[in-house]
Amino acid sequence: MTHRSPGVVHKRQSRWPAGAGAVLFLAPALSMLLLTRLIPTVDTLADSLRDDGAWSLANYARLATSQGFRDSVITTVVFNAIINPAQVLISYLFAVALAQRLPAVGLWRTLIFLPMAVPPTVSTIVWGVWFRPADGLINSLLAIVGLPDQPFLTSADQAPFVIMVIASWIGVGYWMTFLVAGIKNVPAEILEVAAIDGAGWLRRLTAIVTPMVRRQLGFVLVAATVANFLLFVPVQILTRGGPAGSTDLVMYEIYTQAFIFNNRGLAAAEIAILVVLVAVIVGIQFRLLGDRR
Amino acid sequence: MDRHLPPWGRTFLAIAVPVVAVLWMVPLAWIVSAGLRPSDDVVGSFRAFGWQTFIPDPATAENLVAIATGSLGRAIINSLVVAGATVAIGLAVSAMAAFALTAYRFRGQGIVFGLIVLTFMVPFEALAIPLADAARSVNLENTYVALILPGVGNGLAIFLLRQFYLDIPIELSEAAAMDGAGKLRVLWKIYVPLTWPAMVGAGIIIFVFQWQAYLWPLLVTTNPSMDVGAVALARLFGQYGVDWGPLFAGAAVLCLVPTIILLMFQRSFTESVAGSAVKG
Repeated sequence: MTHRSPGVVHKRQSRWPAGAGAVLFLAPALSMLLLTRLIPTVDTLADSLRDDGAWSLANYARLATSQGFRDSVITTVVFNAIINPAQVLISYLFAVALAQRLPAVGLWRTLIFLPMAVPPTVSTIVWGVWFRPADGLINSLLAIVGLPDQPFLTSADQAPFVIMVIASWIGVGYWMTFLVAGIKNVPAEILEVAAIDGAGWLRRLTAIVTPMVRRQLGFVLVAATVANFLLFVPVQILTRGGPAGSTDLVMYEIYTQAFIFNNRGLAAAEIAILVVLVAVIVGIQFRLLGDRR
Repeated sequence: MDRHLPPWGRTFLAIAVPVVAVLWMVPLAWIVSAGLRPSDDVVGSFRAFGWQTFIPDPATAENLVAIATGSLGRAIINSLVVAGATVAIGLAVSAMAAFALTAYRFRGQGIVFGLIVLTFMVPFEALAIPLADAARSVNLENTYVALILPGVGNGLAIFLLRQFYLDIPIELSEAAAMDGAGKLRVLWKIYVPLTWPAMVGAGIIIFVFQWQAYLWPLLVTTNPSMDVGAVALARLFGQYGVDWGPLFAGAAVLCLVPTIILLMFQRSFTESVAGSAVKG
């Protein structure tokens, strides 16, 4: 940072110095972000630390001994340990295929991206109807290939996987677009040279392309982790945490605590723990990816 | 992009990619077909699996009439109003902030930018519950203002615009300022047109945020006439004895709006990039 190129220095110096102008331009956005993001963050923290009108750690103490919350956290962690690697892998496979120059490839990319733009309520409802055990489309497809009806959302073993299918159908196309951009950034000359040197396409993919899109893969892993730790809509609409707590993800647990049991302090403490948990896991992911930033 | 794929690989991809992409959007296509069926046929279309599963027979427009005159239609209009207003206000606010962060130089600029990045690291869903309590305490429950506000300040949109504004040579705006153009005019006449694809991208980010909103509108509306489409749909789905036809007609409209917007702007996006390439 101490040695800037002359060009940069020149550019910096010729910027307008601060005046009332900069403040006026920033004020609307900053006040909105303050009001709808930063203040509620501080608020949540404060709420979690209050009990009966006094400052205390009582909410955290209660959560530490709450079997229900502990189960919900474990369910969420296990759910994420499966869904996040799966989403990254599938979106990378898609990206490798869709980064190629193929006929109408832009259209195919848009089709796979589309579920992301559709409200999650809609996606949840259509898959919920398809996965109905008695009269759903999936069971009638299974019957065609001679398989017995499956219980899907009514079974504690299968319900989490149905939720994963829904969340992944929504998310994979979105993650894919970041990876496609990364793959297209790999300089063609490097691949050219590697091909001339006799590296097959699989070797080029694993030894050149994949290391070069590591940054994008890291971003997708982190973004998917954040999104899936906060997954809420399919659980609230389809399973309400059941059967037998198998889909009781933390966001739904927080929602019930706040609105069914009307316990805002406890809900705030749960939010704080969830955010810290996500931050820790994201930190570990960055560590494993060897990215120091 | 690998130009040295073996020919069989290219052929395989040229077939497999369209097949997967079309299969991927079958659920969306099915929603549209379900919206055109009589209510009793919607779920009944599954047991006898065949072409009728995807093509409504008989087809009917009665569901569209039902939602146009019913509460779901009103909810969809609410969604359009909320998303449209949020995109318009959000883009203006974000562009001004990104401009202040790039065209000016002031103490604490880095800290302000850091705060903006921080706001999109803490996910909004986690804040919706306490924020809804606050909105209720200032009587913003069941208002458009409450529905629009959380979408207006979008750290990601500001971030995206800033990245593009950084590439604009400062000399351009200085020349304009020398000619007596105001700062707002510099933003509007130089920055915005030069970075139109970024504007489209930021607009889509803000739109999608609102179009997907569920938890927040669920918390700040108690009056069904203020429901947005997604919430109204979930309420219908939760009822005993669901009327499937209108439900899926509403779902189809909620799918088609973003589909049209994406297809429309994908083109203008490509054109603007191609256009700037021609100009050099």
